[in-house]
Amino acid sequence: MISQLLDFLGSDLAHYWKIAAAVMPALLKGFVETLKLALVGIVWGSLFGGMLGILRGQYIRIATPLIGAYLHLLRGTPFLVQLYVIYFVLPNTGYSWLQWDSQTAAFVSLGIYTSSYVTEIVSGAIRAIPRGQWEGAFALGFTRLKTLRLIILPQSVGLILPALGGVYVTLIKATSIVSVVGIVELMRQADISIVRFPGDILYIYFLAGALYFAFCFPVLMLVGRLEERSKNGRMVRT
Amino acid sequence: MEDFVSAIQSAYNIRIVGQYVDEFARGVGHTVTAAAFSLALSLVFGLALALMRISGRRFLSYPAAAYVQIIRSTPLLLQIYIVYFGLPAIFPSMGRLPEIILGIIALTMHTGAYMAEIIRSGLLSVPNGQREGAIAVGMTTFQQYRYVILPQGIVNIIPALLGQTAILIKDTSLLSLITVFDLVSAGMLLNSDRVRPNEAFLTIAAIYFVIYLLVLFLSRLVEDRLAGRGWRVPA
Repeated sequence: MISQLLDFLGSDLAHYWKIAAAVMPALLKGFVETLKLALVGIVWGSLFGGMLGILRGQYIRIATPLIGAYLHLLRGTPFLVQLYVIYFVLPNTGYSWLQWDSQTAAFVSLGIYTSSYVTEIVSGAIRAIPRGQWEGAFALGFTRLKTLRLIILPQSVGLILPALGGVYVTLIKATSIVSVVGIVELMRQADISIVRFPGDILYIYFLAGALYFAFCFPVLMLVGRLEERSKNGRMVRT
Repeated sequence: MEDFVSAIQSAYNIRIVGQYVDEFARGVGHTVTAAAFSLALSLVFGLALALMRISGRRFLSYPAAAYVQIIRSTPLLLQIYIVYFGLPAIFPSMGRLPEIILGIIALTMHTGAYMAEIIRSGLLSVPNGQREGAIAVGMTTFQQYRYVILPQGIVNIIPALLGQTAILIKDTSLLSLITVFDLVSAGMLLNSDRVRPNEAFLTIAAIYFVIYLLVLFLSRLVEDRLAGRGWRVPA
């Protein structure tokens, strides 16, 4: 009955306006939560993935195949399944420090998910630096660490940064999946708002989509521009 | 030895999985079906979008570009929900479609945008002289694409298309959230019946991983085969 009434009013612009005004505060709150999740994911993922990527970038006997296996495991399973494994299987092992609430599970799974992308990007960027750079530095008596810090990494930053922007967009989109374990982010807020206004399912999802778009689209544009520049051989200003 | 076996069994009891083989088989069947149909449809859709984008006519290229950007900037889960709730609302005459068909439509719309980007880069990688040559021997536009541009353009992007296929197979896992009985749902069923998360979720992960390895193997095979016949390694 109510939904029929809302359908009838649906043609009314004022009605949409009213729904938007009623729903937007919740959606914006969810959007902030989404950004927070993504930020935590990118920080942990970048730290962890950066370390793994630096290791993988230089052919170390045991580490490189091990990291390769880790990457394949993460790339071979859907994020939803990774999340379920971290949320349901790890607490089942019985160790008390693995008894995570949904918030921690979400952070951990997003961080691990991001790390696989970052590892690939960083190792690719390090391998893209010609070998002569390593050899030249060694000839000058640089240690391996110093070579990395002073010669190799500064040159690969221009390759890494634009790609990280792309990962950030992927991550923002992946946070929507975390809503299934009960994290109240943008997607979940949209679901909650739909319970309040069941006649406007589509409209509320469109509003949520517009928020995602408002963030992801400019980042994607920027990434495209930066990639274009680094392809042209110019340094990306950092 | 006895202790070891029982420890393994308490962590992962293969017999419990054995009781659910039928469910898992059904789930894998639905997962593969959804992925296969979405793959075929999204290739066609992606090709159409790519041709629209490079057509040079604004009323074709702008909508295609906008579509691709919108899809790339919003989460797949949201797109699935919009199709799942939206299509029946917009076309009430269609009646109640099975969830898996709605899921295939959503996945096609999503993957099509990514396929369009890949196909476009493939078509643009064909040197312009090829088209000019085709025009010079009097081919129609359709013939140019059919015999000259598409065969060369597609070969270059087969690895990228296979990579996107691997992503598509993983994306089908989200269909479990709109009550399609896929691989994830099969595991969820086991977990809700027996409360054995290890058996349920590790089995799902393992099966997805096996499917991924198959696709990986296939793409290695294709790459090797292409390498034999004048495969141009991108610099």
